Amino acid sequence: MSAIKYTFQIEKDDFSRAGEASSSIKKILMQVGSEPSLTRRVAIATYEAEMNIVIHSDGGTISVMIDPKCVMVLAKDNGPGIENIELAMKEGYSTATDRIREMGFGAGMGLSNMKKCSDEFSIESKIGEGTTIMMNMCVKEGE
Amino acid sequence: MEKEYFHSVILKEDRCIGCTSCLKVCPTEAIRIIDGKARIIDERCIDCGECIRICPNHAKSAVTDNLNVLDKYKYTIAIATMSIYGQFQPNISINQILNSIKAMGFNEVYDTTLGAKIISGLISRYLLLKKKVEGPLINSSCPAILRLIQIRFPDLLPNVVDIETPMEITARIVKIDAAKKTGLDLKEIGVIFFTPCTARATSIKNPLGIKNSYIDAAISIKDIYGEILKNLSVNPSYSVNVETTKETLKWVSAGGQAKSLGMEKYLAVDSIHEVIKVLEDLELGKLEGVDFLELMACRESCIGGPLVIENSFIARAKIGNHAKSLSPLTYTDEEIDQYIKMYEEGFVRLTETIEPRLVMSLDKDISKSIQKMELMREILKNLPGIDCGVCGAPTCRAFAEDIVKGENNHSLCIVKTIESFKNKNLKRKGENKIES
Repeated sequence: MSAIKYTFQIEKDDFSRAGEASSSIKKILMQVGSEPSLTRRVAIATYEAEMNIVIHSDGGTISVMIDPKCVMVLAKDNGPGIENIELAMKEGYSTATDRIREMGFGAGMGLSNMKKCSDEFSIESKIGEGTTIMMNMCVKEGE
Repeated sequence: MEKEYFHSVILKEDRCIGCTSCLKVCPTEAIRIIDGKARIIDERCIDCGECIRICPNHAKSAVTDNLNVLDKYKYTIAIATMSIYGQFQPNISINQILNSIKAMGFNEVYDTTLGAKIISGLISRYLLLKKKVEGPLINSSCPAILRLIQIRFPDLLPNVVDIETPMEITARIVKIDAAKKTGLDLKEIGVIFFTPCTARATSIKNPLGIKNSYIDAAISIKDIYGEILKNLSVNPSYSVNVETTKETLKWVSAGGQAKSLGMEKYLAVDSIHEVIKVLEDLELGKLEGVDFLELMACRESCIGGPLVIENSFIARAKIGNHAKSLSPLTYTDEEIDQYIKMYEEGFVRLTETIEPRLVMSLDKDISKSIQKMELMREILKNLPGIDCGVCGAPTCRAFAEDIVKGENNHSLCIVKTIESFKNKNLKRKGENKIES
């Protein structure tokens, strides 16, 4: 089966470049000819993941594995890790600082949006080590 | 399936010197330079006219009609874009301009007010209230934007309001009226649109969302400008039957459509490259709290069209001046009811589904596409990434794309060639040294 993998480096606190990875991923999916609503879901999910890495982490990577039917996204950061995942998943919950909120980010919707976009979603986190999010999104029947 | 692609934008080959100006501004990467001449990739071109605007040699042009077309019909009606009012000296009145057009041999003359009024009424009093789609409604009045969404943002197609353009609605109403009045068949009546842009000229021949246009020909403002000037001194004896209002007149300048809706939660964006950025944000769900998006391909909206004469900023000021003396836009309840009926019956509605067109993909078969992506990545590693355009493609990425699609087996990367030449030379020099 043909599949292709891309990995993007995401820098901590680099707001001027934030969104570049997800935008590149979207372009790739359009060139692949992926179904439009799948492309959009992947774009939103990777954008949220990218913003989370920029805002909350010490930097990380986003990888996508694209095959004809599904897109697997792996977002990995280098820490600091999430203390209470259950709480972090709640809509509206955010640990973002006031400075970040003033910029219009940190509304506490990132993780729940990612989950909403994916068919499979898993998150693992270790304090001091980092967080790994795995998302799988597939073409839906009838699309 | 769509018919063959008709485009208003064309190339005058003898004028093209193969410079890369148009390559760089094309928002859909629809231009390549082949054998020293610009070529337009038909399926990608959205007729925005950016290439016409930028071409230093005036090699990019528009296919439009001329006044000879009047001979084909027994009865003729001119419909002028309201941006035409921004093209002349401030002391020239709307009445004078319309009379000048009439004097070219038309039986009747209108502007697009009627259509604009109906659209504003329908969106503000009907469509916004029954909106079901997530996110803002998007205007359908710019055909270039419609085609852009179709090929680059197909997932946003449901957000586009399913109403025809002001020119099309006006044309339908006045053509049917004229047929009743004269007893002529619709085919014997010619409706000619005075267009500010290529996108509208294209959408008459190759409409999107409707089966056929009621407009029979499009004349470019640029082409007819001198003729209008000449006729301006004629006695304005024709009583013009247009009720242009403050708000409908401003439809042709940036933000005018959104403002005419009398609502606050809107965002108006003009010029195609900015529109692309905002649509990207919208796709990511970043435009919360916006109910209506006005997107226009040209800077300052239609008054900045590629086929107008006046600088768009000056035109805006002139339009603003004309608007001062006009009465405000109002509706009676009966009018709104009538518009809703027109909409529900399909008279002013986009009755054909606008299908996404995935023209950006490398292959129709996704598996093959993915293989080509892999190959493209390998090729890209060997390209300089400076996007110089000398190979004829707008970017190194587009060059790689053309190669894997099998659409380019004639051009070379000049940078790579020079590099390898230099390396060879260095190597040879090195060898020489050892020998000596």
